[in-house]
Amino acid sequence: MNTELVFVLIAVGLLVSFGYLGVRRAKGSPDLGQAVAAIQSLDIEAFRNLVDPDEEAFLRTRLPLEEFRTLRRERVHAALAYVNELSRASLQFARLGDAAKRSSDPAVAASGREIANDAIFLRMLALNARVRLTLAAFFPGLDTSSVHPLIDRYSQAAGLLQDLTGRAQEMREPV
Amino acid sequence: MEHWHKFVSRYLWIAPHIFLVAVPVAMYVRRLNKTFPLFFFYTLYEICQFLLLFGIYLLAPTHAILYQYVFVVALAGSAALRFGVMQEVFNHVFHDYPRLESFAADAMRWLTGFLLVAAILSAIYSSGSAPDHLLAGVALLDRSVAIIQAGMLLFLFVTARMFGLTSRSFAFGIALGFGLLAATDLAVWALRLSGSNLPLVKFLNLLLTGGFHITVLVWMGYLLAVEKPSNAASYAVPELEQWSGELERSQ
Repeated sequence: MNTELVFVLIAVGLLVSFGYLGVRRAKGSPDLGQAVAAIQSLDIEAFRNLVDPDEEAFLRTRLPLEEFRTLRRERVHAALAYVNELSRASLQFARLGDAAKRSSDPAVAASGREIANDAIFLRMLALNARVRLTLAAFFPGLDTSSVHPLIDRYSQAAGLLQDLTGRAQEMREPV
Repeated sequence: MEHWHKFVSRYLWIAPHIFLVAVPVAMYVRRLNKTFPLFFFYTLYEICQFLLLFGIYLLAPTHAILYQYVFVVALAGSAALRFGVMQEVFNHVFHDYPRLESFAADAMRWLTGFLLVAAILSAIYSSGSAPDHLLAGVALLDRSVAIIQAGMLLFLFVTARMFGLTSRSFAFGIALGFGLLAATDLAVWALRLSGSNLPLVKFLNLLLTGGFHITVLVWMGYLLAVEKPSNAASYAVPELEQWSGELERSQ
């Protein structure tokens, strides 16, 4: 392949990308219910257990090396599935916050800004965790405990959301 | 055929600048000139540049050298202004999100370095076929600017998509317009490398001006599309506000 063709392909690729971005419409309004359901559906204790260094040390001492490596790879893949779900949920919250940010009501707009900021931070942690876990899947020696800040933050969000949706449910039910 | 080409090339030279007049006017009416002062200035600059070049073309058609020098100086100014506008767009998109802003600033530093290297490599590996040194220099500058701008704008869109930021605001309209323009510049330059016969050059010139026409229409479209204040999220905000507050306290 000659240089000219490479340049032509890159340029056409860019043109198509920008054209796609131009005609693509954002998906419908962000749905709070969906985001809450997504964040609540995760079993945080199981997730925590999957990346627990003590649990990993215990398995290492009990299992033959080959078996341990296979099991660890499976655990990392399972943890990755959790992180992906969490990442998707935080994206929903970020979109919701961004939509609220554009509200004509200044108080709602200010809340939206804060919510989006928190959700973006959660998503950044999730993306970071995804990279670390993906690397850990290939290099069994890598430590996965750096995923813990994400779990702690996620736990707080999930717990609070549980309370909030419970209260909202009570308010909607006729007395 | 010649007549047809002449008509289209005149249309694509003049019409986008007539449409462009509507952009600063609409910006002024919607007070967007205060939010995007550099872009507002850029549109006025492009209109003045066109009037000057068109005036030279009409009044002094034999002064090709004068036209060429004015064109080169105006193009350099335009390229510099575009970088300023892009900085303005980045600031506008990210300034509400401090964490994302610092991440984007770090990533941009690396990306700019990488794109600079790509621009230098493209200059080394392809000489092009400009008739003189001045035009060769202009082509090189234009292409390097296009490479850097296209990369930066793609980064902006990918980051916004990754973190759920809306791409319906006027800031993204400006970015999309410049992205299309930069990508067209690159496509035309890449096609020029493959040959320089007259019909191809004529076609490529039409592609360039056509790209600018589409860019102006994109800006107009984003300006005309009313960005309605969001009501969909309002019902959920008290609950979400509490969620956000709790997370804030737990940091």
